[in-house]
Amino acid sequence: MKEIVTVQVGGFANFVGSHFWNFQDELLGLAEDPYADSVFKKQQLDMDVLYRTGETQQGILTYTPRLISLGLQGSLGSMSSHGTLYNHEPATALDVTTWTAGVSTHTAERHKKNLFLQSLYEEQDRSATVDKSGPQREYQDKDIVENLEKGVKFWTDFSKVHYHPQSLYELSGLWMDAWEFDNYGIGRDALSNGLQGEEISERLRFFVEECDRVQGFQFMVDDSGGFSAVASELMENIADEYTNTPVLLYALRAPESYVNLGKRKQTILRSLHDAVSFSRLSSYCNLIVPVGLPSLSTSRASSFFCINDEKLYHCSAVYAAALHSVSLPFRMGSLAPTADLHYVSGGVDVSEVVQILLGQSRRNKVAILDMAMPAPSLTGKEAGERLLGHLHPVTPEIAEDVEDLQAVETMTVHGVLGPGGHEASASEVKDTIHAAYEHATMRPKFCHLSMAHSPLPIPLPFPSIFKNVVGQRGELLENPTAGPPLKGSLDVHSIPMAVRLRSSSAILPYLENRLGYLRRYGVDRGAPGAELVRSWGFGKDELEDFGEDLSKMVIELKPHREVSSDSD
Amino acid sequence: MSLRVLNPNAEVLNKSAALHMNINAAKGLQDVLKTNLGPKGTIKMLVGGAGDIKLTKDGNTLLKEMQIQNPTAIMIARTAVAQDDISGDGTTSTVLFIGELMKQSERYIDEGMHPRVLVDGFEIAKRATLQFLEKFKTPVVMGKEPDKEILKMVARTTLRTKLYEALADQLTDIVVDAVLCIRNSEEAIDLFMVEIMHMRHKFDVDTRLVEGLVLDHGSRHPDMKRRAENCYILTCNVSLEYEKSEINAGFFYSNAEQREAMVAAERRQVDERVQKIIELKNKVCSGNDNNFVVINQKGIDPPSLDLLARAGIIALRRAKRRNMERLVLACGGEAVNSVDDITPDCLGWAGLVYEHVLGEEKYTFVENVKNPYSCTILIKGPNDHTIAQIKDAVRDGLRAVKNTIEDEAVVLGAGAFEVAARQFLMNEVKKTVQGRAQLGVEAFANALLVVPKTLAENSGLDTQDVIISLTGEHDRGNIVGLNQHTGEPIDPQMEGIFDNYSVKRQIVNSGPVIASQLLLVDEVIRAGRNMRKPS
Repeated sequence: MKEIVTVQVGGFANFVGSHFWNFQDELLGLAEDPYADSVFKKQQLDMDVLYRTGETQQGILTYTPRLISLGLQGSLGSMSSHGTLYNHEPATALDVTTWTAGVSTHTAERHKKNLFLQSLYEEQDRSATVDKSGPQREYQDKDIVENLEKGVKFWTDFSKVHYHPQSLYELSGLWMDAWEFDNYGIGRDALSNGLQGEEISERLRFFVEECDRVQGFQFMVDDSGGFSAVASELMENIADEYTNTPVLLYALRAPESYVNLGKRKQTILRSLHDAVSFSRLSSYCNLIVPVGLPSLSTSRASSFFCINDEKLYHCSAVYAAALHSVSLPFRMGSLAPTADLHYVSGGVDVSEVVQILLGQSRRNKVAILDMAMPAPSLTGKEAGERLLGHLHPVTPEIAEDVEDLQAVETMTVHGVLGPGGHEASASEVKDTIHAAYEHATMRPKFCHLSMAHSPLPIPLPFPSIFKNVVGQRGELLENPTAGPPLKGSLDVHSIPMAVRLRSSSAILPYLENRLGYLRRYGVDRGAPGAELVRSWGFGKDELEDFGEDLSKMVIELKPHREVSSDSD
Repeated sequence: MSLRVLNPNAEVLNKSAALHMNINAAKGLQDVLKTNLGPKGTIKMLVGGAGDIKLTKDGNTLLKEMQIQNPTAIMIARTAVAQDDISGDGTTSTVLFIGELMKQSERYIDEGMHPRVLVDGFEIAKRATLQFLEKFKTPVVMGKEPDKEILKMVARTTLRTKLYEALADQLTDIVVDAVLCIRNSEEAIDLFMVEIMHMRHKFDVDTRLVEGLVLDHGSRHPDMKRRAENCYILTCNVSLEYEKSEINAGFFYSNAEQREAMVAAERRQVDERVQKIIELKNKVCSGNDNNFVVINQKGIDPPSLDLLARAGIIALRRAKRRNMERLVLACGGEAVNSVDDITPDCLGWAGLVYEHVLGEEKYTFVENVKNPYSCTILIKGPNDHTIAQIKDAVRDGLRAVKNTIEDEAVVLGAGAFEVAARQFLMNEVKKTVQGRAQLGVEAFANALLVVPKTLAENSGLDTQDVIISLTGEHDRGNIVGLNQHTGEPIDPQMEGIFDNYSVKRQIVNSGPVIASQLLLVDEVIRAGRNMRKPS
């Protein structure tokens, strides 16, 4: 099993995706860069899992993400929806050949490219003219980083990746602002009119057709608004068309989506949206991972960052790092058996991860994501405990310190440093963690461990969010030197990471909240949101079905199963 | 008022201001779309913030590309787009008609008339106009062999409003032939059975009708033939790839050998399916030089491709779901969901199958088929925006032909219907109406003239002169339309200018409904706006 097709749906998902692909692009670049750290040379990661090889009409080879990204019209900023690689004919073809009577041209104001994007194009031009010494840029990387900190508006503003012309799709004809596209009901109509749904499915087919053995679909969905309806429509279609291919879904939330306006009507709308959205999305995927804390900046997961919750650019970078780490084991599997186990180990494919986490004695398709960024070095006593202690959830609304004997998990650790400051080997990591679990009071029933040598590379457009205790290779400094209070890509080059997907009853509050919303606001007699859900096009029966599905998920996880046959 | 108490931030517009807001929005939208109308309208080129180009002469496409903010305008736009969904054309006319109804009403309202009275008049006028349309339409008899000329005239009328004449005329033949190809007199016409494919290559005039199918993918094995004649076609929806079942993906096996054995067993199942296909191929192709092509909706993995290639079979995977149906209609045979009991009867036939490669894009042509009931319109053009615009036009053309066959009627075009209906309302209907509702009828009648007026305006003619000469001719009993070159009256029948009956009907039906809603507005409350707007 090999290829993964990635689908990004909605505003925040595209922000996360943009960072995610920046990491991949950086890995690809470092592997070829003669001056790069040797750890990136022998990554033993198969990038073809996420990327596709193509060719333009002029015969130039291309290597682009196997990706569909959906956004609102105008969300691409200064990037053309056709990408940059396949543009054979520049602006010269402006004459209209299909009409002989009048032409009126309406030109929208051109989005200005920021310093970072300018530098990318200049680099390209320079490498084309071979004149490396050429005119000096009048700005430095420092200026670029500052510029990005100040003014990221679109996810394309910090993207250094070339996308395929089939990848970027903008929904048109919605006639509303982004903030109005805020609930499941609105999203349901978005694809129904015209041929847009069909066009997206066609593009998906384009990417799947060229795959020899699809390993799975990876969905990143901004489920805070109308886009979750768009995503579930797409996933319903996938379940139909590519029946046995597993779908792994990240339901992503930006902190801003939790802002409470304090109005009852708004609260009902949000709650019902959350319930319906989760119910729909979870029914069409094999594994769903809710990601996104109401306040990332104050959470324990960001102990080593200084984050501005209002900046999508910041929050998305952290989540993207976690998603990158989770995806590493998917790229180890297809390597030849001779691959050096020193560098990677524990490769699994998407369907294996799904199977592990679904569990055997019970079925739970909602997983919790924990992350440690940076992961601490494996030195000294109790190194394993320390590593486990650094893992903090980025899944919202979960219970803490829950003892669950049925818990199962998959963990990925990569780039961690061992004693002496060199990258720890696979077996060292494995032994440390197993030893730590050996002594732990709470340990999962089963833990699959994957390990890679290469840390997370920090590309230039990564935000400056590291506190100054973080060193150049992501080590935690004991005596942080006087430097800039916040470090970014110029000071920190790579970060060791540990992430964990956990299937545990700690997710119960998340599920119960949604079940409660659905009943209280939608299903119960005289529910205040009954009219609203009807306007979204759901009948009472359907809502009751959703409720039943949710309560089944809850019952599966209840510690004492016999208690519940529930009220209905 | 209670709502105001609930949300003190809401901005409340009183009745008169609300009404004028609606009227202005309707007029505003009308102004944007006005220049689109007719064969002399202007095409719009939209250049986005990143330099992306969209080209459109079509009201429907233009509306979808616009960022409309005003709620009234959105309401009108939705109606107009729905018009397109239902009847395939008439978006621009709907917007113009609604705008003009509002404009005409404004005069009377400013003189102190109550909108209710106007709305009553609209209702009477609408019913009368629909009755008039029944009398006015030209019936067309669609027997087994429809009158191709009349279909062409309708298609040409609509295509010439979207594309330059030579290309429009070329496409006219293509869309008429395409619809006639898929037509089966017993069942409703399913336009999806016409595949519309495009290639970014050469020029718009290279667009052609392919009797058969063009697929946007090719075989995925280097040893498979790129061109084959006399082909059996197997259309199937059978997985020919090794898929992990739940059992061997989980941890249900106790050792590596057991797992290997499971994997091998699953692989064997796939191989057996491939073998069945190869057996059928050997059966029908032995002793002749016929070829065998498998077109599969599911995947085919490299080992299976290898087996098929070695057996001399051409195989395509992941075909569009709709192509399963189209292939069977084009080539014959049947689409099979299992290879267990396939027989030669399941196979279709094509005289020629070949592959065309443009960079990474591959196209497979399945041509020279017998008795096709499905076909492909292959659009060519030098760039994406040109292709998109031709594609829109082709869709409209197909709809126009389909409507004509289903309506069994057409309506004289070039503004003839609108002028005739207006004269009918003014001369016959108005005097039968009691009281001030007459003025509603009058407003409606005059609003109908927006179509000939705009046609005249877009041709650079004097609208007053044109309307006077047209209404004069009609009063003399001559049904005439507008000659866009000279401004003189012409006989649309002689010129072959016909519109769809269902499109006209839909416009007359939906226009007044929306206009009435907008006129009967009480208050507009703007709440919830600008509150969460990103800074």
